[in-house]
Amino acid sequence: MTLVRFLATRLATLAFVLLAVSFLTYALFVLLPADPAQLACGRPCTPERLETARAFMGLDKPVVEQWWDFLRGVFAGRTFGSANATLTCPSPCLGYSFVRNAPVTELILGRFPVTASIAVGAAVLWLVVGVGAGVVAAVRRGTALDRGLMIAAITGVSAPSYLVGLLGILLFGFTLDMVPVSGYVPFATSPVDWAWHLVLPWTVLALLSAAIYTRLTRSQMLEELGSPYVRTARAKGLSERRVVTRHALRNAAVPVVTLFALDLGVLLGGTVITERVFSMPGLGALLMEAVGATDVPLLVGVTVFTAALVVVANLAVDVVHGALDPRVRHGGSSR
Amino acid sequence: MTTTSRTGRRAALAGVAVATTLALTACNANAPEPAGGETTAVQQGGELHVLTSSTAINWDPATSQNLAITTLGLVERRLTSWRTDPDGTTEVVPDLATDTGTPSDDGATWTYTLKDGLTFEDGTPVTSADVKYSVERSFAPELSGGLGYHKGLLEGGDDYTGPYDGGELDSIETPDDRTIVFHLDSAYGDWPWIVSMPAFGAVPEDQDDVETYATDPVATGPYRVAETVEGTSVTLERNPEWDPETDDARAAGPDSIVFELGQDETVVAQRLIADSGTDASAFGASFVPPAQLAQVQQGPAKDRLVTSGPGALAYLAINTEAEGLDDVDVRKAISLAVDKNAYRVAAGGEISGDFATTLVTPGIPGREEYSDGVNDAAPEGDVERAEQLLEDAGWSGRELRLVVQDDAPNLARAQAIQQGLERAGLTVKIVPQAADVWTQTVTQGDGSGYDLTLSSWQPDFPSANGNIQPLFHSSQVGGGGYNLARYADPEADELIEQATQETDAEQAAKLWVEADKLILGDAPVVPLIYTKNSFLHGSKVENFRIPDFPAYPNYLQVSLSR
Repeated sequence: MTLVRFLATRLATLAFVLLAVSFLTYALFVLLPADPAQLACGRPCTPERLETARAFMGLDKPVVEQWWDFLRGVFAGRTFGSANATLTCPSPCLGYSFVRNAPVTELILGRFPVTASIAVGAAVLWLVVGVGAGVVAAVRRGTALDRGLMIAAITGVSAPSYLVGLLGILLFGFTLDMVPVSGYVPFATSPVDWAWHLVLPWTVLALLSAAIYTRLTRSQMLEELGSPYVRTARAKGLSERRVVTRHALRNAAVPVVTLFALDLGVLLGGTVITERVFSMPGLGALLMEAVGATDVPLLVGVTVFTAALVVVANLAVDVVHGALDPRVRHGGSSR
Repeated sequence: MTTTSRTGRRAALAGVAVATTLALTACNANAPEPAGGETTAVQQGGELHVLTSSTAINWDPATSQNLAITTLGLVERRLTSWRTDPDGTTEVVPDLATDTGTPSDDGATWTYTLKDGLTFEDGTPVTSADVKYSVERSFAPELSGGLGYHKGLLEGGDDYTGPYDGGELDSIETPDDRTIVFHLDSAYGDWPWIVSMPAFGAVPEDQDDVETYATDPVATGPYRVAETVEGTSVTLERNPEWDPETDDARAAGPDSIVFELGQDETVVAQRLIADSGTDASAFGASFVPPAQLAQVQQGPAKDRLVTSGPGALAYLAINTEAEGLDDVDVRKAISLAVDKNAYRVAAGGEISGDFATTLVTPGIPGREEYSDGVNDAAPEGDVERAEQLLEDAGWSGRELRLVVQDDAPNLARAQAIQQGLERAGLTVKIVPQAADVWTQTVTQGDGSGYDLTLSSWQPDFPSANGNIQPLFHSSQVGGGGYNLARYADPEADELIEQATQETDAEQAAKLWVEADKLILGDAPVVPLIYTKNSFLHGSKVENFRIPDFPAYPNYLQVSLSR
């Protein structure tokens, strides 16, 4: 029963956070001095046509009413225009982009696979490389290998991704001509081309993030390896390999998993710079386009969607914590 | 888009709509080639790649701001189109219609006849009803954001809300399947250019779906949309129903055209410099970024760089309603104090443009250079005279707010203006604003938020009308209009209206030159430079030319070598 209650509390919090985020984004974007109807007005624009465009887009209503329409749309869907030519936005409707003449949900779902491909691939790579390097550095503490890995990690943490991305394109794309420099091929079209186009973005993104995980894993491992239960395990005659993987790493993994889930959640919401540099049409690129075109419905939709991902990632962290550490599941009291 | 195009809303919009389609150029960087009308003269075949930063192509003629010679023109024909000749001139030529239009005696009614045997991609004939329907749907609020010059010109256009619930627009008549008649509120001499805009194509009513037409249009041109990969690419293939005999504007060289979407400009420039694989058959739809421009000019790709002739007018607008600036002598003093040379250096040096002295831009028929003793003073300005004028006018010495868009290029230019004006003792405060906010400040409301601002303007069609009416007619002050100087002069208004209504092109050009002189005599703006821009293409790309107007490459003529 405790697990059900645990999940219910977390889900309620999740809903509340999303509600708050949607309202704040709405208020923020609507209060901006920019007028999204201006674009819809076309060229040349007259004050009358501007008014017509505002009314059609529902911008003449009070902010709270606009927000309410938005919320209702998420569950019930929305329609704009006359009976003869309606623009429909089926549920779950995160708004309708008048700039693109398409429901925001559809736009987001169209771009999400790209961002997910980049994010998940990079995340797997950096988790393996980062944690692996961290464990090795901790076990071989003080050796040249440890120092080498730490220097690499500091470099990785400090390097800006756009610079590394462009250098990567220049070196592997242009000079060595090994990988494609830009573009995205859907997995369904050709899994091989899909992976081939993603190799460079994955590597760039993973190398930069792996650095953080290396440092974190190393420090956690050192702490665990020095604790009494590890000594006990060693004293029992367990192999060093078993001590490291089954005992120390499992406990060191708790903060790493927390960070990983949050990072992945943020990343799934759009890898703005990576998508830009590698010309990948993902969520981050969509967000940038929305900003450039004053596409407020799209901005709100993408922001709420991104917020949802982060909140869900948080929930996942809580659940995984529960699995790794029973204390969390049982109300957080000490043993 | 570029810094220049970003400074003007119209330019910014055009850039967005056309997939970064604004630019400025005059040809002569390419090998000579037979006149555009000789469509059989160009090499046929190959797959052309267009590398663009846009992430989607909007094919809906009602919501597009495409120029006649770019993307949409490949798929959708209009009543008239533009033919750009190797000598740089651009003329309006018949496209779907048999001629560029027959005006009534009073110039307010225009009649067109459709060519014989025109069909859509599915083989059904194109009728005048399809053209009428296409124009009508551009009025619908469901389809917004397109070029709407005709909306204010057609009788009853101000109250019409489109065919979906507003019925028909009575001022467009279709007496038979091949004849279409437009009734305007008053005479309009540039109407043949207006009907070259996207809305004046043909849309079959039974295949119209407001939600999908933007990705799935019905082709009348040499190409049709074969495949769209969301955010990634759009591929065009030949439309077998298109008959080259009926088309004077399109060469239709390549067998297929692939638009590669969402491309970073810097990476595009590097790819075109490297010129490998399909990139040899590609061109960039965006301006070459300044950093790459330097790289290209020194490298082997130099021959594949095409720089435009002088195009859009970059100018400093003086808010004529602001305190003290309502005095014409103060405005003249500002004009004389501006250092155009410093501005051009800030904008990237000589390759970024020629010094401007008039409102009508180069490449526009009938343009005349003249001397007014203020704007044709030395590019560095005349500080002494400026100081004298300010003293005589009793200038208060108050701080002037120069409101500009908040990006590095605009800030550099603003500093050049600031330093120029300070030489004559004028105090200038630069107020950077985000692009949207800037647009709001200068085009909406009562204009109390700025004294000076920087902008640039390229007309949507090559007539002095497009240079002057949107920027200086009193009806364009506020309310989304682009009269940033908030200039309102009854005499100028009358002259603009007179020139607009003149159907004799030569006579109209004379009136526009007169308006140019009259308005600039009041110094509402300081013309700075006529901007130039550069494009890069692959080694197999031929006939990549930029006319005097618009300063943007003509997609309809580009072909590939074997």
